[in-house]
Amino acid sequence: MALSLQFPVSTPRQASLEISKLTPGYIASSFSLQSPSTSSLHSLGTSSSIAMAVKKSSRRWRAAKTVAMAAAANEVSNRKVLIVNTNSGGHAVIGFWLAKDLVAAGHEVTVMTVGEESSDKMKKPPFSRFSELRDLGVSTVWGDPKDVGAAVGGKSFHAVLDNNGKDLDAVKPVVDWAKSQGVEQFLFISSAGIYKTSDEPPHLEGDPVKADAGHVGVEDYISKLAFKFCSSFRPQYMTGSGNNKDCEEWFFDRIVRDKPVPIPSPGIRVTNIAHVSDLSSMITLAIGKPSASNATIFNAVSDHAVTFDGLVRLCARAAAKEAKIVHYDAKALGIDAKKAFPFRNMHFYAEPRAAKEKLGWTSSINLSEALKERYEEYIKIGRDKKDIKFEIDDTILSKVG
Amino acid sequence: MQATDRTRLRTQAVRRVSIVTTASSDTPTKKILMMGGTRFIGVYLARLLVKAGHEVTLFTRGKTPVTQKIASETDQEYAEYSSKVKHIQGDRQDFDGMKSKIASAGFEIVYDINGREAVEVEPIIDAIPSLKQYIYCSSAGVYLKSDLLPHFEVDATDPKSRHKGKLDTEALLQSKGVPWTSIRPVYIYGPLNYNPVEEWFFHRLKAGRPIPIPNSGLQITQLGHVKDLADAFVRVLDNPTAFGQVYNISGAKYVTFAGIARACAKAGGFPTPELVHYNPKDFDFGKKKSFPLRDQHFFTSIEKAKNDLGWSPKYGLVDGLTDSYNLDFGLGTFRKAADFSTDDMILEKLGIKVAVPA
Repeated sequence: MALSLQFPVSTPRQASLEISKLTPGYIASSFSLQSPSTSSLHSLGTSSSIAMAVKKSSRRWRAAKTVAMAAAANEVSNRKVLIVNTNSGGHAVIGFWLAKDLVAAGHEVTVMTVGEESSDKMKKPPFSRFSELRDLGVSTVWGDPKDVGAAVGGKSFHAVLDNNGKDLDAVKPVVDWAKSQGVEQFLFISSAGIYKTSDEPPHLEGDPVKADAGHVGVEDYISKLAFKFCSSFRPQYMTGSGNNKDCEEWFFDRIVRDKPVPIPSPGIRVTNIAHVSDLSSMITLAIGKPSASNATIFNAVSDHAVTFDGLVRLCARAAAKEAKIVHYDAKALGIDAKKAFPFRNMHFYAEPRAAKEKLGWTSSINLSEALKERYEEYIKIGRDKKDIKFEIDDTILSKVG
Repeated sequence: MQATDRTRLRTQAVRRVSIVTTASSDTPTKKILMMGGTRFIGVYLARLLVKAGHEVTLFTRGKTPVTQKIASETDQEYAEYSSKVKHIQGDRQDFDGMKSKIASAGFEIVYDINGREAVEVEPIIDAIPSLKQYIYCSSAGVYLKSDLLPHFEVDATDPKSRHKGKLDTEALLQSKGVPWTSIRPVYIYGPLNYNPVEEWFFHRLKAGRPIPIPNSGLQITQLGHVKDLADAFVRVLDNPTAFGQVYNISGAKYVTFAGIARACAKAGGFPTPELVHYNPKDFDFGKKKSFPLRDQHFFTSIEKAKNDLGWSPKYGLVDGLTDSYNLDFGLGTFRKAADFSTDDMILEKLGIKVAVPA
C-alpha cells in the first residue's frame, strides 16, 4: 500500500522573507494572523476559517516559489552525496527522507545501509520501502562501515553523511575513508542527548556537552580532520512515515484502546518532537550551502517544546478521542521510567537556532499537524487492532491505586 | 479576537501599506513624549533617549520625583540627564486635562510605558496630530496558554487574560492608522524593579531561609533584564521595519523556578539554597502571594526582534541578576519589605523548622 509521502523542499527563510515583505498581508499578519514568513501553525485555539485560509494560501504560494528560491539561494548544486545509514533505531528514518529531499534538490544520492540486504532488519521500515528510493534514482547499497569503498564500488562523492555511528569506533573508519577520498563535506548525525543538563533551557549550539559522550568524541575528531566543510546535527525525537522506532505510537496505543496514559510526574516536563521532514530539509540546506553550514553544529529539532501532558492532549486531539492521564512518581513506586515511558524523564529541550540563523531554515510542519498525519497512518496500517500487552502500565496503575 | 475583527484589521492594514512605507525620519532627533518614566523601564529608557540627543518629556502625576540619581551613573551623568529631561505633570486618567497638556508641544513619538487600557491611549493619539509613531509597552501575558511553547508573536492571544487591556490597546493602535509598535516583555528584572521578582528570592537568601517553590520547580519561565528591554525600545524608534509589529522581548534563555533560586544565590554570593516544594492547593493564603511568578510554563521566542531589529540581550541570567544585586538589593535597597508569613505557613505544614539567626 503506497502512502503519499510529503517531503517539502526546503525554503530559505531569507528569500521567502524578502518576498513576503512585498505582500500587503505581511504587515497585518504579524499581529494575530499567520505571517507568511513562518510556516507552522502556532495557534492551537479554535482557528477561524479566515486564519486557516491565510495559512493555506501562504503555504501554496510558498510551495510554488520554493524550488526556484532554494536553487537561487544555494551555493552548490548537483552534488554526489553518500548517506551511511544505520540499520535500526530512531535515526534510521532520517536517511530515507533525506535521500528523497536531496534528489528533489537536484543531487545524486547513494544510500549505504550498514549490514546485509538480506538481514531481517531490512524487513522493517524504512528499509522495506527502499524501492521508493530506487524509483527516484537513488542508489541503495549495503556494507560495512569499515570498508565503505567496497560497498560503494569505488564511487566518489562531494559530501558524505554518517547517520550510523554513536562513537568513534563506529564512525572513524567512515571519516578516515572520506578524508582519504578527498570528500569535500562531511556531515555527522550526532545527538542532542550529549548536552549537559542545565537550569536554563533550551540546549543551544555551543552549550557544554558531556565530555565522555561517544558522539562528542566523533564531533571532535571530525572537526580536527580539516575537511573543506563539516557539520554536525544533533537531533532529539522524531516522528514521520517510515520510522523504525515508536514515538507517538506509544500514546496512540493507549488512547485508541481507552486505556489511561501513565505519565511520570511531573507531567510538565518538556521534550522536543520534530517531523523528520524538517530535519531532512535542514540537512539538505546544509549540503546545498556548504560555506554557510561549515564548522557549525545544528540542533536538528523542531522549534517548539511540548510537555508530556501536552503530548497526550495533542495525540488525543489527533485521534478525536478523550485521554485520561495518570501521573505517577517513578522513583517512589520503584518503576524504571526508561522502560515505562518512551522519552527521557527530565526536561530535554533543544532549539534549532543555528539552522534558522545560518541556513535560513524554517519548520514546515508543526507537531499538531504531524500527529494528525501520523494517526491516519496508525489506523491505516491497522495498528489500532493489534493485540498489545500493557504489563508495565498495569503495574503502575495497580500501584497508584 | 473575533474573525471579523481580524479581517477588518487586516483590510485596514492592507489599505495603509502606502502610508506606512512613506513615513520616514526627517530629523534625527525626535520630540518624545513618555507616559511614565520615573519608576523602572522608563528610568533607563529616558536616559538612553536623552543621551542619543532626543528631546524627552515625561508625563507623570509627580508623586515620584521626576529624576533621581541611580546607582550606576556618575554625578556628572545624572546632572546632564536631569537638566535635559522635561516634565509635564498630569493625570492620564483625566483624558481632557491630559490632552490639553500634551496637544501643542509638537511631539513626534510617544513611548507609552504605563498604559493599561485602550481608553487611556486613544485621547493621546487624538491630541497629537504630528504623531509619527506610538510605541507601547504591552505584555507577553496576553498569549493564550498552550501545550506548544515558546510563544511566538503570531500565536493566539487570550481575550480573557488579566492583560486584556494590553490586547485591546494593540487592537486600537492597529485601527487608528498611526504607525505603532508594541513590545511584549515577559518577566522584567534589574535594579529598581518594583515587581518583587529577584527581590523575593534575595530576601530569603539573605535571611538564610529555605525557599518555598510551588510544586516541582520545573516550571519554565523567562527573565529579561530591564536594560536589554530599554535597548529594544530604542531600536524600534523611527524604524519602519517595526511599524505595525509586535515584538517579544526577554532573555536569550529560559529558566526553571528552581533555576532562578540558584541563579539569585550565585548573583548575591549566597550558598546554594535549600528548596522546599509544596502544593499551593493545600493552602489558603488569602490575598497574599506565596510565590512571585505564575505557576505555569511561560516563555517566548525573541527571534523576531533579533532578526528585525538587530537586537540581542546583553545580559545572561546570572550576570543580569548580579547587576541587579550589586546596584540595588546588595546596596540595602528594595521596594517591598520581607514578608515571610506565607513561607512560615508552608514550612509549618511541612514540619520544617527554620534555623534563623537572631
